[in-house]
Amino acid sequence: MSNEHFPVPASSVDAPSALIELSHLSHFYGKFQALKDVSLKVQSGAIGLIGQNGAGKSTLLKILLGLMVPTSGGGTILGRDLLRQRSELRGRIGFMPEAESLIPGMRGVDLVGLAGELSGMPRRQALRRAHEVLSYLELDEVRYRRCDDYSVGMKQRLKLAAALVHDPELLLLDEPTAGLDPQGREAMLRLLHAIASRHGKSLILSTHLLGDIDRVCGQVIIMDRGTVLGCGRIGELRQHWQGRYRICWRELETRTDKTGSGQSFLATLRRMCPVVSPTSRESEALIEVPAGWNNLQFFEMATQSGVILSDIVPEQEDLPRLYHRLIGTEEVH
Amino acid sequence: MMNSAEQSTGLQLDQAGYRAWEGQPRSNWWSCLSIVRVGLMLIFRRWVFWILIGLGLLNFLFHFAFIYLKATLAVQNENIARFLDRYKVTGTGDAYAEFMFAQATICALLLAFAGSTLIGGDYRQGGMIFYLSRRIGRWHYIVGKLLTVAAVVTIVTTIPALILYIEYGTLSNSFQYFLDHPRILTGILGYGVILAVVQSLLIFAIAAWVPRTVPLVMTWLGLFVLLKGLADAMRAIDGNRYWLLLGLWDDMHRLGRYCFGSLDEKKIPSAEYCLAVLSAVCVISLVLIVQRVRAVEVVS
Repeated sequence: MSNEHFPVPASSVDAPSALIELSHLSHFYGKFQALKDVSLKVQSGAIGLIGQNGAGKSTLLKILLGLMVPTSGGGTILGRDLLRQRSELRGRIGFMPEAESLIPGMRGVDLVGLAGELSGMPRRQALRRAHEVLSYLELDEVRYRRCDDYSVGMKQRLKLAAALVHDPELLLLDEPTAGLDPQGREAMLRLLHAIASRHGKSLILSTHLLGDIDRVCGQVIIMDRGTVLGCGRIGELRQHWQGRYRICWRELETRTDKTGSGQSFLATLRRMCPVVSPTSRESEALIEVPAGWNNLQFFEMATQSGVILSDIVPEQEDLPRLYHRLIGTEEVH
Repeated sequence: MMNSAEQSTGLQLDQAGYRAWEGQPRSNWWSCLSIVRVGLMLIFRRWVFWILIGLGLLNFLFHFAFIYLKATLAVQNENIARFLDRYKVTGTGDAYAEFMFAQATICALLLAFAGSTLIGGDYRQGGMIFYLSRRIGRWHYIVGKLLTVAAVVTIVTTIPALILYIEYGTLSNSFQYFLDHPRILTGILGYGVILAVVQSLLIFAIAAWVPRTVPLVMTWLGLFVLLKGLADAMRAIDGNRYWLLLGLWDDMHRLGRYCFGSLDEKKIPSAEYCLAVLSAVCVISLVLIVQRVRAVEVVS
């Protein structure tokens, strides 16, 4: 399984209009406030929506889908008013819910065709398009099978096909990899990436799995208890960790006491740097250098200890750390 | 840089040829017809339902054959025709009302089971999410489902009655039968509308709140059988005929007979009372349906 990351970049900053622009959006369920004065602006591209249970993700999705009117505030999606053009908006948005949303007894192709018809497509066009989308999602061989007989992975792809059939501009995906095995998850993430990058679809990926967002999305909305804690490009939200490095080394071939050289280098690092954490890999450590540090000092220390430096990479905050920092549960590294 | 696996996936996707759709979307009300088509397909594809549909078909074929037999025998011997007139297959309003009553009973049994598939399943298995997350609103969904049930009722009750009416008139000596009995046509259509409206609203309301099959069947049948029993019992105890209004099934039948012009107007409860009770039931059902079909349930 590949560990590569392939986030879809957001469109240019000076795009004419934002994909989603929300202004002071609040929503109450009785006395409970599910969304608290949410204002955000995201550009088209792949956007991750992260938050714990009760963070307000589902409420936000319902409002974005035009199924619910917010108690106060407003905004636009795809340039359309969130409050006044709700039905039209749903025609331009494809929704893939987390829960099973199939009609037992129906064949895959009929179900996707029906989804197209419910989105305003004439029957013939909806059916033709259903065949195309099912082929695209590699479900063509099982298209005439009853959808209750599909495997979990097939059902997820079928839900995606039903969301894609009317060629929406924006896809809302609620936990698209839920219940999938690692192989199925990998395939789904590649598919989502292809949809976003090759066909110019914007997508909002709501999930608990930060890895999925890290793999596919270029932007992120981080929510906690009804508020948006962070919104924007992941690269811009990441804290710039000055003075943190991942350092790798190997022993000199000519030296006879090879085991000691690595330990000696590590000991020197510990003397010089305030934070030195060996990683699970041999001959690798995460370090934090003191103020006024000159990187040439690494090479001097390596020469003295009899090792060769193979890599010095400035450490960046990853998405899990970014998330934990923003919601206030920062992990101690 | 993409690795080979990604390139391969990308290649497959490109070969499959995702194409944009550039058509103009239709009005959302067209979607109601799609809902009806799918609903009927779900019922007629299941062999279990064909047991009840077959029963209705058998009743219809019996009447169809009987009318044909009578017409054939009448040519040879009028006495036999008069003898057969004793049976209620004679082309009178009463005969059609009784035929539709029998068909409606079979249809009610069919709906008791089909309600779970048509409506209950949407609550139990996520169909509601499927429908309401599309462009259509909840009223399109409600109208679509009501039309589906109404179509089932019409297929089982009204259409067979209309066919029998046409058959009887066609096999008569002249087409005078149609001119002499216009009330029968009104009766068939009127009774058909009453059955379709009341049954569709009632089954939708019950299935929306009691989506599982067994409780749904018990509630649905209980509504007709128990209420009728209660109505008869109360009338026997109290002596007041207005208690009979509690029997919804009989109310529909009385109103149907009124449409055929064969209800004894002097008897109480009269058609007006039945209409009032059934209207109240329909309004309550509609309120229950609207309460239950809520778009906010789509994203749980």
